[in-house]
Amino acid sequence: MDISFSEQDLQFQEEIRAGLNGAEYPAHVKEKQEKGINFSKEDVIDFHKFLSSKGWMGYNWPVEYGGTGWSPVQIYLFLNELALAQCPTILPFGVGMVGPVIYTFGTQEQKDRFLPDILNFDTWWCQGYSEPGSGSDLASLKTKAVLEGDHYVVNGSKTWTTLAQNADWIFCLVRTETTQKKQEGISFLLIDMNTPGIEVKPIITIDGDHEVNSVFFTDVKVPADQLIGEEGKGWTYAKFLLAHERFGIAGVPVVKVQIDRLKNLTAEYDDADLNKKIAELEIDLEALEFTELRTLAAIAEGGHPGAESSILKIRGTEIQQRLTELYVEAAGQYILPYEGPDGFESNRTPSGPEYASSSVAQYLNYRKTSIYGGSNEIQKNIIAKAILGV
Amino acid sequence: MNLNYSDEQNMLREQVLKFCETNYDFIDREKILESDIGFSKDNWQQFAELGWLAVPFKEENGGFNFGPVELTVLFEEFGKALVVEPYLSSVVMSGTIIENSNHKNKSSIIEKIISGEHQMSVAYAEPNIGYKFFDCYASTSVSNNILSLNGTKSLVLNAGNANQFIVLAKHEGLSALIMVDAEVDGLSIQSFKTIDGQTCGELTFENVLIDTDSIIASGDDAEAIFNKMMDLAILCISAEAVGAMNASYVKTVQYTKEREQFSQPISNFQVLQHRMVDMFIETELTKSLLIKATLQLDSNDPDAKSTISALKVQVGKAGRLIGQNAVQLHGGMGVSNEMSIGHYLKRFTAIDSMFGNTSHHINKYQAKQKE
Repeated sequence: MDISFSEQDLQFQEEIRAGLNGAEYPAHVKEKQEKGINFSKEDVIDFHKFLSSKGWMGYNWPVEYGGTGWSPVQIYLFLNELALAQCPTILPFGVGMVGPVIYTFGTQEQKDRFLPDILNFDTWWCQGYSEPGSGSDLASLKTKAVLEGDHYVVNGSKTWTTLAQNADWIFCLVRTETTQKKQEGISFLLIDMNTPGIEVKPIITIDGDHEVNSVFFTDVKVPADQLIGEEGKGWTYAKFLLAHERFGIAGVPVVKVQIDRLKNLTAEYDDADLNKKIAELEIDLEALEFTELRTLAAIAEGGHPGAESSILKIRGTEIQQRLTELYVEAAGQYILPYEGPDGFESNRTPSGPEYASSSVAQYLNYRKTSIYGGSNEIQKNIIAKAILGV
Repeated sequence: MNLNYSDEQNMLREQVLKFCETNYDFIDREKILESDIGFSKDNWQQFAELGWLAVPFKEENGGFNFGPVELTVLFEEFGKALVVEPYLSSVVMSGTIIENSNHKNKSSIIEKIISGEHQMSVAYAEPNIGYKFFDCYASTSVSNNILSLNGTKSLVLNAGNANQFIVLAKHEGLSALIMVDAEVDGLSIQSFKTIDGQTCGELTFENVLIDTDSIIASGDDAEAIFNKMMDLAILCISAEAVGAMNASYVKTVQYTKEREQFSQPISNFQVLQHRMVDMFIETELTKSLLIKATLQLDSNDPDAKSTISALKVQVGKAGRLIGQNAVQLHGGMGVSNEMSIGHYLKRFTAIDSMFGNTSHHINKYQAKQKE
């Protein structure tokens, strides 16, 4: 057993670090990173454009499709460095989700058409999975696509669609057939968000922010060549996408940075109870981090850790949520004034520590983490079935 | 990075597993616990013959020169079967101190430990000092040019069977590690059973004569050796806990599949499934910290200290969660002393209490983080 990374891997880490501190890195993004200010849409785009310019956008793709061809360890180190530098999160929908589905199951024409735009971040993708009646039971989805000549006509609605308001394209699971087994009638469609009949309506979440949306489809005509793979095989592709190793799901480095920040912010409080809770969180984080490394070591050797990675999702989101609770606890009564996405109602100076109001928004926002990506209860079902055999 | 066990390590695991399957089912263990000495001499002799007692010692002392990884492999398997033989006190704790001391005849003592003929134990706790082992009251004194030891040492593992003790005491105002024969005049030993069925004892020293050669380390040196021993001891009982956690969730899953209520196996109920998943998750997270601490200790990483404390905290918390849920999911059977499952809970409780409990190590971890 050996815990250390190889010389080459450490050198790679240095290169990434140097790149993030280099002159090409967008200065306005860097400034916000360092001050912990929320990123605008432009910041997010500029960050992704930077990744493209470095050739890092396809960090998890094979070389033949324009990716980096990095090893699992390199991918891990890359994402770790981004998180430690507090960069914006790489939007997963294009490069992490639909990209691998297209290069694995798409036609040559589809690869040529969509992959370069993903790598250049010329298209912003969003994910059309959940529906008002289909959450954890995703396969019960009802959005219908009927083939009429050379196009599908899509009717139905998707919900909780993250950042659909910014998206150029959406990849959707749609029902092309009503079958006995509900998984069998599902297909995987790529849809241009500018197609007539699509309407995006914001959903404001309890933190007051506009992150997710409802997307309505009314007689939307989608060219048939935007179907991925075979009709009725969409569920297989969706499962591939979910199983596609998603590093960083545990969010370890982000939490690490945030714990250090909290410790600095509260150092003078001398609150033994708070300090103890922070220490316990750090211990849990250490256990999670090494669990992630064990998973990484298994993947690096060609293994497929499958259900074990559910641990990372469950414990990772629990830790993230506990961290947001500690910020709220630390700020005490000063969390009370409501600060919306556009600032405070009156232009007064808020009392208490600077982090107080954003801590509540974060706390409320992070309730989503144990719900999305397969709720933590679903993750436990997966472990129960796949590992415990019950 | 490579987190695989070597072939040799896997073979060792396989060997211990086989031994426990053959010699250590719950009934065998009950008989051992009921015996006068509280462990099996036959087993101990087999440990010696299989070479297990030589695992951590240096080659020059007749050992295999294995490191912490091999010890954790042994202890994980011991933990699954709730092995009670005094490996921890004799081989790990006493062995580490002897090997790192400046004892003149350390090779010959280690040789006797390895052969199984000699057992030792470390006397570190006292009635009123909690986990502040260096604040001990046991001390040497000189009168008429004669050096003697007075004081009380508590909770000495396997005290009734040890041939020799290593006593942590004050000598000339400094910490010292002193070898004392079990048979020596002025030493009285009161043995008793622990909550988990093992044995330990209270040692009272009344003007026990000491010769200076038996002071095998003193001052900073003694404390450094003692701390090194403590780290390794924590690592070993943590590995034991991981094995016990593993057995607890596996046995619980098995039981819920067999137990039928409302005309179906109770493993069908989601509430129980999720509890068992929680047990599994905590086992894996503990195992992660165990591996991290093992590798850091193995490479003398300066962060090892804080990881050891993190590990002990995780062991304490996870042991409680897993032990309690295992009992709960076994229903009435869980609280029956005739089922093994409750004995895991007892062992988790004992392990948490040893070498600093959860609260103690949270404080220690915080202090380390500030350094």
